[in-house]
Amino acid sequence: MSKTIDRRTILKGSAAAFGAAALPLATRETRAQSAGRIVVGTWGGDYANLLRKNVETPFLISRGFDVVQDQAGDSARRAKMMAEARLPRGTSDIQALSAAQMFEMNQAGVLEQIDYSRIPNATNLIPAMRYPYGVGHIYSAKVAVYNPRMMEPPQTFRSVFDPRHGNKLGIIDIQYQFIMLVAALANGGSVSNFEPGKELLMAVKRAGVRIYPTNEAFAQALKTEEVSIGCMWKARVVQWQNAGISIESTAPTEGVPYFVSGFCIPRNAPNKAGGYAYMNAMLERQAQENFAVDMGYNATVTNAVVAPDLHRRIGFTAEEQRRLVDLDYGYLARNDAALKEWWDKVFKG
Amino acid sequence: MAATATAAVTAREDAPSSPRAAAALVTPATVFVALVLLIPIAILFRYSLNRFEPGRFMVDALTAANYVRFFTDPYYTDILLRTLRVAVVTTVLCVVMGFPLAYALARTTSRFKNVLVMLVVLPLFVGNAVRAAGWMTAFGSRGFVNATLMGLGITSEPITIMYTEFAVVIGIVAVNLPFMVLTLQSVIEGIERPVEEAALSLGATPAQTFQRVIFPLALPGVLAGTILTFILAMNAYATPVLLGGPRFQMMGPLVYGQFAQQNNWPFGAAISFILMSATLILTVAANLLVQRRYRGER
Repeated sequence: MSKTIDRRTILKGSAAAFGAAALPLATRETRAQSAGRIVVGTWGGDYANLLRKNVETPFLISRGFDVVQDQAGDSARRAKMMAEARLPRGTSDIQALSAAQMFEMNQAGVLEQIDYSRIPNATNLIPAMRYPYGVGHIYSAKVAVYNPRMMEPPQTFRSVFDPRHGNKLGIIDIQYQFIMLVAALANGGSVSNFEPGKELLMAVKRAGVRIYPTNEAFAQALKTEEVSIGCMWKARVVQWQNAGISIESTAPTEGVPYFVSGFCIPRNAPNKAGGYAYMNAMLERQAQENFAVDMGYNATVTNAVVAPDLHRRIGFTAEEQRRLVDLDYGYLARNDAALKEWWDKVFKG
Repeated sequence: MAATATAAVTAREDAPSSPRAAAALVTPATVFVALVLLIPIAILFRYSLNRFEPGRFMVDALTAANYVRFFTDPYYTDILLRTLRVAVVTTVLCVVMGFPLAYALARTTSRFKNVLVMLVVLPLFVGNAVRAAGWMTAFGSRGFVNATLMGLGITSEPITIMYTEFAVVIGIVAVNLPFMVLTLQSVIEGIERPVEEAALSLGATPAQTFQRVIFPLALPGVLAGTILTFILAMNAYATPVLLGGPRFQMMGPLVYGQFAQQNNWPFGAAISFILMSATLILTVAANLLVQRRYRGER
C-alpha cells in the first residue's frame, strides 16, 4: 500500500501552494491599482487611529484606495521631506503638519500649491483654514487652564503669568512658541513681536515656574496637583477632563491663539491625485463631526454639526471667537531659531 | 589518506598567506562599513561647513562658523563639559560596581552560573526608553522612592529626584552596567586561579592580591569595558531626555534638537563631529595610558 509522490504531483502541489499564497497579494494589488495607493505621513497614537476610523476606512479604503500610514513625529517627517526634496519622487503623498510647520515647509519650497478645484468639499472650508500650500483639518486654541479647587478662574494671560503663583505655574517645553506668544500678548506684545513676553517669563522663572517636557507630563502634574495653573489647547482640556483631572479653562481677554493641524502635499509626491482625494475625504461632514466627538477639536468646515453640549466644551462663544487670533507664520519662521535659542539658553538655563 | 591529510595541512598553511583570499574575506565588511558609515560621515562633515538661514534651511558654503559658534558660546561648551562629566562618573561607577560582580560571576562554580549571567543580561532585553519610563515612576514626587522615604519618616515632603543630574547618572549606570560586567567577566575567567593562590600563599593579603595581581591582569578587560560604557554614556539620548527633563542638556539630545526640531542641519552636523571627536580623542588617550601602564606592570 505504498504511495509514491511523483514529479507531476510535486509540481501540481507547488503551483497550488504558490497560487494560494499569492492570492491575497494579487487581490491587494488589484485593489491598489483600481484607485491607487496613498502614503500618509502622520503623527502616531490617537490621531492616526482616528484618521483611520473617521477618514480612511469610510471614505477612501471603501472606495478602493490602499492607504498606508507613515507614522512619526513631525520633526522626523519634516527632516525626511527636506532630505527627499531633491528627488524627483518622494515617498509620501500627503503630510499632516501644524499650520506653522506647513508655512515653514512651503518657505523651503518642498510643498505643492493647492488646487482647490480638486477638493469639492473645500467649498465648506472656513476661509481661515484655506492656505495656499495646505488645508486645515482640525483646530483648537490656546487657553488658560486651572484647577478649580485651587485657583480662581484667570481671565487674562497676565494673571496666568503672575509670579505669585510660584511653582504652582507649569509650562510645557515643547510648546515654547505658543508660551512665548501668550506671554507676549500678556505684556503688550503681538503675534508679530514676542519680545515683550520675555520679561514676564523671566519673572515667573525667578518665582519658580515648573517646566515639563511634554503635554502628558504636564497633565500628570495637574493630576497630582503639583501645579494648578498653565496654558493648553482647549481640546486637550476636554480630553483631560474626560480622564478625571480637575481642570477648567478660560479664553483670556488679550487674545486666544489658534492651533491648526492640517495637511499638505509634497511637491514630489508620487500620487498627488491620491493626496487630493485624502484632503477631500478629511473634509467630509461626517469625518469632521466624528473628529470633534472623538478628539475634542473643532471642525474646519461650516456644514459640520456639533451637539450644543459638546460645542460648549470644545468650541468658543461668539464673543470668544472674536478674540481668536491667527499666528504670524512668517515672523515665527524667521525668528524661530532665535526664539528657541533664547528659550534654551536664557529661560531654561 | 596520508596524502590527503598532507594536502589539507598544506592548504591550511597556504591560506593565510594568500593575499587574494584575505582580500576576499575582508572586502564585504570593508564595503559595508564604507557604505553605511564612512560615506554618511563624510556627507555630514560637508554639511557642517554649510550655513543655516531661517526659512532657507541649509545654504551651500565653506565656513567654520558652526564650529566657532560652538566653542565660543559657554552654553554649548557647558553642555559638552556636562556630558563628559556624566560619562566619566557613570563609567567609574560601572567599574567600581561591576568589578566585584564580574569577579563573583567568573569565579563561581555554582551550577546556576548560566542563570546568574542571564540575570545580568536581563536588563538589556528592555529598551532604554522603557527602562527610563520605569525610573520615572520610581523617581516622581509621588513615586516609589519618595513614598518609601516619607513612609519611613526619613523625609517629611517629596525630594526632587526627577529632572536632575543624579537621576540621569542612575539611569545611565543601570543601562551600561551589564556591558561592563560581561566584558570584565570574560577577562577575569581567563586569569588562572593558581596565580591568585600563589600570591596568597606568598603572604599577600586579599587586597594586595587584587591590587598587584588580579587588577593588572584584568586591565585589558577594564579598558574594553571602560571604552564601551564611556562611548555609550557620551552618546546617551533617551535617559537624559526622560530623566533629565527640559533643563538638563547633554550632547545627544542637543544634536537631535538641532536636526529635527530646529532643522539646523549645519550646526547639528558640527555638534555631531565635535561629539564624535571628543569621544574618539578621550578613548584613544585612555587606551594609550592603559597600554603604557600594562606594559609597565608586565
